[in-house]
Amino acid sequence: MKRSLGSNSSNNSGSGSNKKTKKKNNPSNQKTLGAAWGAASSRSSFRSSPFSDFGSYMEVKNRKLQNQFETEASASSHGVSGSEKLIFQGVSIFVDGFTIPSHQELRGYMMKYGGRFENYFSRRSVTHIICSNLPDSKVKNLRAFSRGLPVVKPTWIVDSISANRLLGWVPYQLDQLNDTQPKLSAFFAPRSHLTPQMASPVTSCPLDTGYSEAEEGSSIRAEHSEETRDHVDDEFDGVYIGNTTPELTEETGTGDLKSSEMNAERLANYDIEEKEVSSELQSTTKLHSASDNKSVHANGKNDGKSIATAAGSSARRHSTLEDPNFVENYFKNSRLHFIGTWRNRYRKRFHGPSNGLKWADSGQNTAEMDKKSTIIHIDLDCFFVSVVIKNRLEIHDKPVAVCHSDNPKGTAEISSANYPARAYGVKAGMFVRHAKELCPQLVILPYNFEAYEEVADQFYDILHRHCRKVQALSCDEAFLDVSDLRDVEPEFLASTIRNEILETTGCSASAGIGGTMLMARLATRVAKPAGQLYISAEKVEEFLDELPVGTLPGVGSVLKEKLVKQNIQTCGQLRLISKDSLQKDFGVKTGEMLWSYSRGLDLRSVTAVQESKSIGAEVNWGVRFRDQQDVCILVQHFLQCLCKEVSLRLQGCEMIGRNFTLKIKKRKKDAEEPTKYMGCGDCDNLSRSITVPTATDDVEVLQRISKKLFGSFCLDVKEVRGVGLQVSKLDSADPSNKASRTLKSWLSSASASVQIEQDDNVFAAKVRENSDCNRHVTGGVSRLRESNSAESSIQSGDTNSSLPPMCHLDMEVLENLPPELLSELDGTYGGKLFELIEKKRGKRKINSNSPHVSLDGTVASIKELKSLSVKIHGLSTSGEKEYKESYVPHPSIARTFNQRTIEMTDLMPSSLSQVDVSVLQELPEELRADVLGAFPAPRRQQLSSDVPMETCKKQDEEPIDIKGTENESGFSCSSLWFGNPPLWTEKFKVSGNCTLEKLSEIYYKVAQSRPMLSPVLQHAISEIESFHDGSANDLDKAIYDVCELLKQYIKLKVEGDIEEIYLCFRLLKRLAARSQLFLQVYEILSPFIQASISEHYGGSFSIP
Amino acid sequence: MNLKDDNQSGEVAGTVVEFMEVAITMIVFLKGFYPSAAFERRRYMNVVVQRARHPELRDYIHSAAYGLLPFIQKGLVERVAVIFFSEDNVPVERFIFKLTINPSSAALVEEAQLQFALRSFLIKLSVSKSLVKPLPQNCRWEVTAYLRSLPQVGSSKEGELWIPTDTKQWQNPPVITPVKSLNSEPLCLQLYLEHPSLSQPHNLVKPNAAHEPQVR
Repeated sequence: MKRSLGSNSSNNSGSGSNKKTKKKNNPSNQKTLGAAWGAASSRSSFRSSPFSDFGSYMEVKNRKLQNQFETEASASSHGVSGSEKLIFQGVSIFVDGFTIPSHQELRGYMMKYGGRFENYFSRRSVTHIICSNLPDSKVKNLRAFSRGLPVVKPTWIVDSISANRLLGWVPYQLDQLNDTQPKLSAFFAPRSHLTPQMASPVTSCPLDTGYSEAEEGSSIRAEHSEETRDHVDDEFDGVYIGNTTPELTEETGTGDLKSSEMNAERLANYDIEEKEVSSELQSTTKLHSASDNKSVHANGKNDGKSIATAAGSSARRHSTLEDPNFVENYFKNSRLHFIGTWRNRYRKRFHGPSNGLKWADSGQNTAEMDKKSTIIHIDLDCFFVSVVIKNRLEIHDKPVAVCHSDNPKGTAEISSANYPARAYGVKAGMFVRHAKELCPQLVILPYNFEAYEEVADQFYDILHRHCRKVQALSCDEAFLDVSDLRDVEPEFLASTIRNEILETTGCSASAGIGGTMLMARLATRVAKPAGQLYISAEKVEEFLDELPVGTLPGVGSVLKEKLVKQNIQTCGQLRLISKDSLQKDFGVKTGEMLWSYSRGLDLRSVTAVQESKSIGAEVNWGVRFRDQQDVCILVQHFLQCLCKEVSLRLQGCEMIGRNFTLKIKKRKKDAEEPTKYMGCGDCDNLSRSITVPTATDDVEVLQRISKKLFGSFCLDVKEVRGVGLQVSKLDSADPSNKASRTLKSWLSSASASVQIEQDDNVFAAKVRENSDCNRHVTGGVSRLRESNSAESSIQSGDTNSSLPPMCHLDMEVLENLPPELLSELDGTYGGKLFELIEKKRGKRKINSNSPHVSLDGTVASIKELKSLSVKIHGLSTSGEKEYKESYVPHPSIARTFNQRTIEMTDLMPSSLSQVDVSVLQELPEELRADVLGAFPAPRRQQLSSDVPMETCKKQDEEPIDIKGTENESGFSCSSLWFGNPPLWTEKFKVSGNCTLEKLSEIYYKVAQSRPMLSPVLQHAISEIESFHDGSANDLDKAIYDVCELLKQYIKLKVEGDIEEIYLCFRLLKRLAARSQLFLQVYEILSPFIQASISEHYGGSFSIP
Repeated sequence: MNLKDDNQSGEVAGTVVEFMEVAITMIVFLKGFYPSAAFERRRYMNVVVQRARHPELRDYIHSAAYGLLPFIQKGLVERVAVIFFSEDNVPVERFIFKLTINPSSAALVEEAQLQFALRSFLIKLSVSKSLVKPLPQNCRWEVTAYLRSLPQVGSSKEGELWIPTDTKQWQNPPVITPVKSLNSEPLCLQLYLEHPSLSQPHNLVKPNAAHEPQVR
């Protein structure tokens, strides 16, 4: 019997109906289920049913299903043959989602071979989960989903049967769970697979990490049926089943997608809560998840409905709102994407490196004898249509148009129309609706990208066979330079090629032949369709005389209008105008172009495909983000997908780039919803770019950059109508410039047992991730504890013995690492953590005696987040000594540390800067004093402001905006000033120097309201008489300490508050007049202050 | 405030611009550039401020401040300087507003809080007479904005209002006297004075003109 999740869920109707749909498909149970609906279809009838509550109803139901199964099983095993080995004895499977063989077949197998089949998931009775695909949310929350049970592919069962014995399930584990992305974090524990410790103590170990994008509707549905145990749901179900069409069910499914993620997350929460000892915060989390779920539920439902009416039966999800895989689908269905990516395909196919060289030579030749050159421009006639209809003779002469969708609303744009359709006035770019008005019998067909690819390849095969110099313009259009082929008449050659194309591809082509690329192209225009035209040098003028200017390439509607205003209609008229006046009127380049084009001149020569200068992807259709709580997660997810696409394209071209431009289409202030369904409408185009020092195609880097760029726009996401990411400053990605990648590939050797540790922290990571993104949402605090950290800490202690603990890392080395690498490290070490610490300082509780790692974070919104990089925040506290060196490393390192403390005594961090001050602050006062006192003097000297985290952070921000450091809150800048009261007060208090003690005292007195230094100094002036300078030795130390304090304070404030610095500066001067100590401090600091002011403001303080 | 954008950072920018208009007027008044009769007392943010009576002066200050709005919204403006020049076009005093608007945290601030913070600037300005240098004869003044990057000329209408400046700069680093600083989450604003350093020789350098657009 399952735990009921009903108490706080308002599950959505879609899930309910799905559940029912599924059950309905189960013929063997149909009768029973029919009865169940009756019982549950309304509250009143439910009350009158024999079951006191839903729980007992389910219990009876499960029992009944079991009995049915058993009777069927015994019947079948007797019926077939008694000799079948009961190979699945003791195995009880639960099938999640769509599988091959089907769920029913599997049930049959289990019946036959002595296993059990559970209709409803239960940790107690199920031993294996069978599925072939998992949604990402489940993969990430695998522990919550599987409860530590093995998740196995259905082939395990089939193979076991064919082997006639129960095979080990390990090799059949779901692939999604195996392929892990290499992470730098793994770098720190890479050798574990070499040790005999590998056998892991955690049952679920190999399942733990892994990412996948696949989300199948069916698997989601399965999850619903698995977890709807709420009678409220059943009530809904009844209603919905009664009066919804299948279509609507389909549509509401779009909402499900989200709510299922919700559910997965909710499950996760329960998991947490179960383990949670202190339950004070449960209600907050629960409340939150419930409300969150509700809102999304409502949303999903609305969307589903509106689309159901708008888009008819189309089951495709149309916007970023509903479809988590929107970006992928978008590109799958985009013609422009096809054309864009086709180019790379072409380049790979026809231009090997050797080929390219030949090209360069021949290109020069053409330049030399360009006078006599002959160029053929060849173009397939209405490529996108003719390819689709080439095998459909019945519609050959009917008007046909190709369009991505043929919905009755007709708001899709036609991308290409054949000649019969064009005769009716149907044009590319026209709305289907309008086209149908012009031509009611118009046939609309979808794209067939595979066929396009095939035809394009054939097309170019033919061209390359006939001519060496081919310049591909697009998948269906090319220039051939036939000047070298003296022995063949160009006209004859063109017709041969055209015939061959028609024979091979079934599509007709047109050709234009001329002396320049321009003329060839213009000739094709006249030759179309399925014809060819040769414009010889003598005929050029004649041809151009009557040619309307608008037909010249490069002359758009705006330029044409301008020309018409000047009474220039044809190229002949254009020729009468001097180059100078053209250049004056239209700009240097355009004028030049007009001048030469009107004379048929075109200096371009046929060249191979140029190396792309930039690679990118852009989505400006269907981009809608609505104002809902998780909107920023949706946006992030969207960006992530876009980055993935761009990264794939980069990898496809084997390029890496340094400059990243994010383009945003933002709805114009007064723009209406565009007529084109989900189109971008009237938009402002914004773009920002940054350049990073190391070229990359790494998807994570892209994601980080795009996230930052997106943030820098500071727009309202509701206004966003299109997003594009472009990478330029490209380099070829040959291995020599792939430093970061080699590191990665090395990391990928990390073994599975490293991943165990990551898994333990998946929750923590997620929690942090959430809080990161939704800081504005005040969430409840959920605390979770690792259940098995004791075991794994021992394990990792051994396995990682070859690695240096973090305090042994050389900070200088870290600082000198390339920023790319450093930011990666930063990510692994929870670089952003300082902010969090700052925020949640008060909330942190550290369990001082337990060896457990307790993780702490704010759950802002219970919505799964595809983490860019798993950032893990671990605080390790185990022995007394640990207090001194708790920081925020990757947990595996923290644990290594635990282990090592016991063995080694000399584990003092080499400087105070390595101490996590927030931990320090939580310590009881005496202990804290002890810790601080324990720092030997020379070590204190090392206390510098170069806090490693800060350095990382700075580096991380650097590429975004050179001036970005000005935004820095600066709080984390210096450890002495960290916390409230700041660390230095403690340090000074125990320093033994009376001046320092006094300062600390004053600070407590005055700085409660204003945590500033200037009031302290001000007070110090009035109390200066009571200050005694100590011995000379003592004095030196005190001076050093005060200087350090001030220096850090200045660094902290110099960006944002020079007023305060100036105040301190003047107060210091006054103090200097009265105290020897401060005089020296002033003398030391004065140049420092002036230098930092000069650095930031380009001047120096006026000395009062 | 018809120019206010509907999002928060736009609101912050709007407030800043409004404040800037008042503050520039205050500075001009403080310097005694025009006879004090050219100003009238007004209340802004609950502080007594001065407002130029002459419509052209008022208009110049207004348009200078509001001309900055699109750039401030985009986070392009780094510093806004009110520069006073001597007869030979040598700057003698510069009031610098150094500002950073942090868009990411813009959602948190309340208008009232921001106004409260900005008010302290106006109060401090009104008592800062002692900091400023006496004006030389035949001086003039101008508002110059220092942008983080140059806007595309001709790309936007706003950009056309601005011309690159050829303001001379001091050769030596100036002497800085901070007036007021505000370091809050959405907005960091610092007001300080720059004077030529005492050892300032009188040979001046022409700046790289492309970097400093100037109002009109």
